[in-house]
Amino acid sequence: LLPPSPVCQIFSFRDCKSSPDPILDPLVTSCGTATPIVIDNGSFQTRADWATVDLDSPRLLFRSVAARSRGAARSETQIGNDIPNLEPLRWLLKSQFDRNVVVNFEIQELIFDHVFTHLGITSEGRVEHPIVLTEAPCNPLHCRQMMSELLFECYGVPHVSYGVDALYSFHHTNNQKNLRPPQTGIILSSGYHCSHILPVLNGRLDAVNSKRVNVAGGQAAAYLQRLLQLKYPGHLAAITLSRMEELLHEHSYTAVDYQEELEKWRSPEFYEREVHRMQLPFSGKLPGGCVSVEERQERRAQQLRRLQESNARRRGEKLHQDQERLDRLMAVQELLEDGFLDQFHKSLVELNMDSAEELQSYISKLQLAVEQGRQKLLHSDGAEGKTEDTLTEKPNMNPAFNMAEYHQLFVGTERLRCPEILFQPSLTGEDQMGMMETLQYVLARYTPEQQEALVSNVFLTGGNMQYPGMKERVERELLAIRPFQSHFKVTLAMQPTLGAWLGARDWALEHPPGCGGGRVAGWISRQDYEEKGGEYLSEHCASNVFVPIKINKTLPARQAEPSVTLPTEASGPVRMVTSSPTSSSLTSDVPMVSC
Amino acid sequence: MASQLPITIKSHPLAAGPAALRVKKRPGSPAVSAAQPPGGGTKKKKMSAAEVVTDMKAFGLVDSSPLTSVSTSTEGTAKPPPFKDPSFMHSGIGGAAAGKKNRTWKNLKQIMVLERTLPWKLDEPNYYNIDAPPSLKPSKKYSDISGLPANYTDPQTKLRFTSTEEFSYIRLLPTDVVTGYLALRKATCIVP
Repeated sequence: LLPPSPVCQIFSFRDCKSSPDPILDPLVTSCGTATPIVIDNGSFQTRADWATVDLDSPRLLFRSVAARSRGAARSETQIGNDIPNLEPLRWLLKSQFDRNVVVNFEIQELIFDHVFTHLGITSEGRVEHPIVLTEAPCNPLHCRQMMSELLFECYGVPHVSYGVDALYSFHHTNNQKNLRPPQTGIILSSGYHCSHILPVLNGRLDAVNSKRVNVAGGQAAAYLQRLLQLKYPGHLAAITLSRMEELLHEHSYTAVDYQEELEKWRSPEFYEREVHRMQLPFSGKLPGGCVSVEERQERRAQQLRRLQESNARRRGEKLHQDQERLDRLMAVQELLEDGFLDQFHKSLVELNMDSAEELQSYISKLQLAVEQGRQKLLHSDGAEGKTEDTLTEKPNMNPAFNMAEYHQLFVGTERLRCPEILFQPSLTGEDQMGMMETLQYVLARYTPEQQEALVSNVFLTGGNMQYPGMKERVERELLAIRPFQSHFKVTLAMQPTLGAWLGARDWALEHPPGCGGGRVAGWISRQDYEEKGGEYLSEHCASNVFVPIKINKTLPARQAEPSVTLPTEASGPVRMVTSSPTSSSLTSDVPMVSC
Repeated sequence: MASQLPITIKSHPLAAGPAALRVKKRPGSPAVSAAQPPGGGTKKKKMSAAEVVTDMKAFGLVDSSPLTSVSTSTEGTAKPPPFKDPSFMHSGIGGAAAGKKNRTWKNLKQIMVLERTLPWKLDEPNYYNIDAPPSLKPSKKYSDISGLPANYTDPQTKLRFTSTEEFSYIRLLPTDVVTGYLALRKATCIVP
């Protein structure tokens, strides 16, 4: 009776190639030019489409990256799905984001061009539709100013609305479940660069008590990549970020109890069953092909030894020559001593010397040199005792060498270590609090009644929340945080990645901007932009909190826009920045340190 | 091809400017290294533009002609989309006229420094004060190799391990892999 063959889970990387987006038909509804365009501007992915009820998901979904090659081919930029495979162009990829905030507006302009072109907009001189755009929680005023400038002045958009993606997703799920507004709850949103804890009280974001943890999907992918590259130094090039993202999306999970789960992985049987063996394509590389640091050092030492030997040999030869010359001179001197004067003088002439004293001085010098040479030879001989000993011996090829196994990456505990960094950032050396500790910190700032209300509606959203086991883990940690026998409820968003776009679409349909007459809350019109500046935000149920601080706009060197910087009417108390240093002097003060 | 070179030199000195700038941007290219020795040590910017271009013509370098020919052709092929204002200039970038230094965008650190100088009140949220504070709990120690809870640290390499097999594996690791594991948890020692 044969023992049952061990269960082996062998997978291969799908390495999907993306195909370019088509140019879609403009789904302009009966509102005509008032149909809004909803763009969820994410640091991982951009999601955009028209705001109509018929769509279940946005049709434009692409990575927020642009591949711009340097030099003469600068105009050929590829965006998002135009790039079939990101890996060969990894070093050319640029994103408009720095963490979760837009800083590079040239690339943002390229992204907008791509979005508007593929949504079928052909109007001349301006985009005639209102835009709903997502921004980071507590987006810096400078960034909002630049974004408004880009939308209003470059694209001529009539109305713009900014909102927080997690809040849109929250409202979308509440609408789907027909829960009556205003809602109270606490949102745990985890994206690609950051994770946020956003308390919502009576329908409005309590921004003062929100917190951000700078650990999310991107850091998990980089961590996984480094772990596997260190474990498999021979496969450095095959361990790409795209494959890491695939591993995280499809082969990773969150442990409900991390310590307990790790103990399970100690047992070899569990390991054999649960390890995911990722089969790499055959590459023809044999182990030991790459030169490690040790081998390079060994080679250098070898070269040094060879040099030393040749030096020693040369010294020995010189010594020999000197010895011979010394003997000859000694012989000539003996001629003098023995009285053979004629021969002595002849030899002196041969040697090119004038007198016996010169001969004597030469002899003494040579004796000294010979003595030193002999000393050196003695020393080096002693040092060279260990000469060509056993150098690198080739490792014997194990006859049972399994070529298929050599090309497999064993992903074991990495499956749960990488999602764990959200809860324990110290795994990557970050000293910030993890997500649940931050939640505890945020809750502690409220009264017990408020805490009860918040915790009765914990909402998980964002792409990084989609690991199996995430909801159970949050529930378990919340049980540990909350007082004995108190209640709480955790909900995962119905669509964690698309929820933001769907929520923004719902909001846009419920709150159309309205033309001319009445001002609708949540929309910034062209007139608002010109009067109140680019950093103005019109608040609504899913937006940031607007703090009315006026910042000066730096003018471009060529054009001057006098109507922008002068406020014609101030709405409410507005704080002005009195001393206004120009941007150039600021950049010279700030050290240019790359994050 | 020869006819193009005189045209670019004569028509506008501005075209020579970007071409010279482009040449200057790539210090490794043969155009720059060949142009510098004949010109001598330090040159003023305006003089060098004309000199470099004439040197390019004199040496007949192949590099320059593809640059100029591509620049004229790309202006023809790449059409900007119709829905944009063609004369729009980003204000944050400073513009090319402000000098080459200001052409980069501010990164997040610089923007945060600027934000903090604004007159915020204590209870107003901004990007900086919603950053989570450092952790109050001591961190748990895990093995650098397997991720299991680690009770032991190797004094030679400072890596953490759980079992004797891991220890023997650690002692056979090359130094770059050891440094890699330490860098992963930001434990590389700062050499005094």
